Amino acid sequence: MDSADKISKLGTRMMPYLAILRQDLGTLWASRLVRLWLAATALLTFLMAAANWTQFQDAPLIASLLFPYLVFPWFLVVVVLGVSPVSGSRAEALADGILSRPVGRCEYLIATWSARVVAVLSVYLVVVVPAIVVVTLAKRPVREDSVTVYGIVSALFVVGLVLTFLVSLGFLVGALLRKPLLAVVVLIFVWYPISFILSIFSLEQFSPVSLSRAVSTQLRQGWRQSEDEAKAASNMQDMQQFSEQMSNFFSRLSGAPARPKTSKGDFFETKEFEDFSLFRVTLGYGLPTLTAIILATLCFYWRDL
Amino acid sequence: MELAIRTEHLTKIYGQRLIAVNDMNLEVPQGSVFGLLGPNGAGKTTTLRLLLGLQRPTAGRAEVFGKSCGPNAVGVRSQIGYLPTNPKLPGNLRPIEYLDLLGKLSRLPRQVRKPRVSALLRAVGLLAATDQHIQTFSTGMCTRLGIAASLVGDPPLLLWDEPTAGLDPSARRFTLDLIRELGKTKTVVVATHILSDIDQICDHIGVMHEGRMIFAGSMQDMKRRLRRDDFTLELEGDNEDIQHLAQEAAKLDGLDARIGAGDTLVVGIADGRSRCGALAEVLKLVDAGNVSLQAIHSGQNATENAYLQLLQEDEAHGFGR
Repeated sequence: MDSADKISKLGTRMMPYLAILRQDLGTLWASRLVRLWLAATALLTFLMAAANWTQFQDAPLIASLLFPYLVFPWFLVVVVLGVSPVSGSRAEALADGILSRPVGRCEYLIATWSARVVAVLSVYLVVVVPAIVVVTLAKRPVREDSVTVYGIVSALFVVGLVLTFLVSLGFLVGALLRKPLLAVVVLIFVWYPISFILSIFSLEQFSPVSLSRAVSTQLRQGWRQSEDEAKAASNMQDMQQFSEQMSNFFSRLSGAPARPKTSKGDFFETKEFEDFSLFRVTLGYGLPTLTAIILATLCFYWRDL
Repeated sequence: MELAIRTEHLTKIYGQRLIAVNDMNLEVPQGSVFGLLGPNGAGKTTTLRLLLGLQRPTAGRAEVFGKSCGPNAVGVRSQIGYLPTNPKLPGNLRPIEYLDLLGKLSRLPRQVRKPRVSALLRAVGLLAATDQHIQTFSTGMCTRLGIAASLVGDPPLLLWDEPTAGLDPSARRFTLDLIRELGKTKTVVVATHILSDIDQICDHIGVMHEGRMIFAGSMQDMKRRLRRDDFTLELEGDNEDIQHLAQEAAKLDGLDARIGAGDTLVVGIADGRSRCGALAEVLKLVDAGNVSLQAIHSGQNATENAYLQLLQEDEAHGFGR
């Protein structure tokens, strides 16, 4: 068998997957939710960049741009996108339309999951990457910063990984609970206090808030830079600035006055954030993502449509 | 006899509460047009969904062309064209896009897919609507598109669930003609509760009631089994002449004749008496009398009577069922 035949066979085999992926991406792009989210995320990124343009160095400013994806509010949109394909009335429609055709359930699930992940990551990268490019290249009235390309790529990767995990978690809960609204409510109640839950098990370093704070350090890390050097490069002032900025962010959202500075020793002052390891975070979010997909597939396989 | 569908003790119970399909043994011969008949809630749609692997049986098994059905039985589904009741179609697509998508799901190469999509749209009369979004389609157009969708993969078995539901008379006629035409080359299973549809197109029939298959066999078997040995003549003429005709007919050997509702004469035929001979003799009397014949109705052809009788018998069996 020559290579052309192999490619042709692979193409035929992948045809349903690619067709569902393309169709789902088209449907997602046509949905109001995704378009509104794209507009809202662009607007918020612009406002945050403009508000802190003359105050923050590159690293904290970029970290503040990534904050809404990691902590609040965009996880809401991401879980809603994850929940919808396998729950509610859509399940019946897809049974009639797609799953009554020669398509495996696993094939369908992986294709729709891929479409969601591609859509979420596209919206995230389309907005954030240009903003980061502008922030790093523009001449701003702040001190020079040592943000590296590797740091930017790894920070983007970490946030992308968390978003992928959220989509997968939405998928799993959607497959388990069937009712989309109930699934979203459950996810909010699970995800919102996740930092607290993780701290109970001494896993703070995986919490979105911790990741968000560690991003500044990560942004300054070079490709071959040792962990010790990276730790040395971390700047407590950045952390403080960043904490204040996040506090302000929530205060603005809730309309409450900004919180006064506290002298309480927090996670960062104990230097636990220096334990941040890209490898560990990749495993910490990658394995649960895989588990969620496998469980969602099993759950969907056993389900009556 | 080669079988397209075979089920053994197929049972589906929803949540330990509702028995949708109850110990069903069904055999559908290849090349037949099989009518799956039953009142609403009899389990027809569940049976089709079990065959497609959209639902898992609680007990028993189902086979299509000798292959086991199940959620991952892609090989089985590639041989089935399914038309659901009032198909839910993606409103944001145009018919060509939709059929092309389904062609891809059936792994049809481009050089096969594109001509087939065109041919199907032409066959179901939707060529003029190819630039419209599906959401603008009427019920009849959606059904036509659903029919085309079920034929995209050119499957040897068609499972059509209530294909004439909500259609106007011309669309209904079109659908029935199409089933008759497709029945020449494919096995077609039509689930419906519309008796006249079954009467016109099916050569085999299965009657479901409360999840059970209470009759399965050829249409002729069903009619023969439930044959009513009588026929009714609709007449026009004076009452006296009609009464006289009834008296004359009653004198004939092996016949019982009485005046029915309106100007009708109900003729009963005794066992062993030729139906054709009896009918010929009565018609001779009508011809000789002062009445004219408007219509003849035979109990033997009334599928509705047979169907209702089956349901009544099934209910009367009680614990014997």
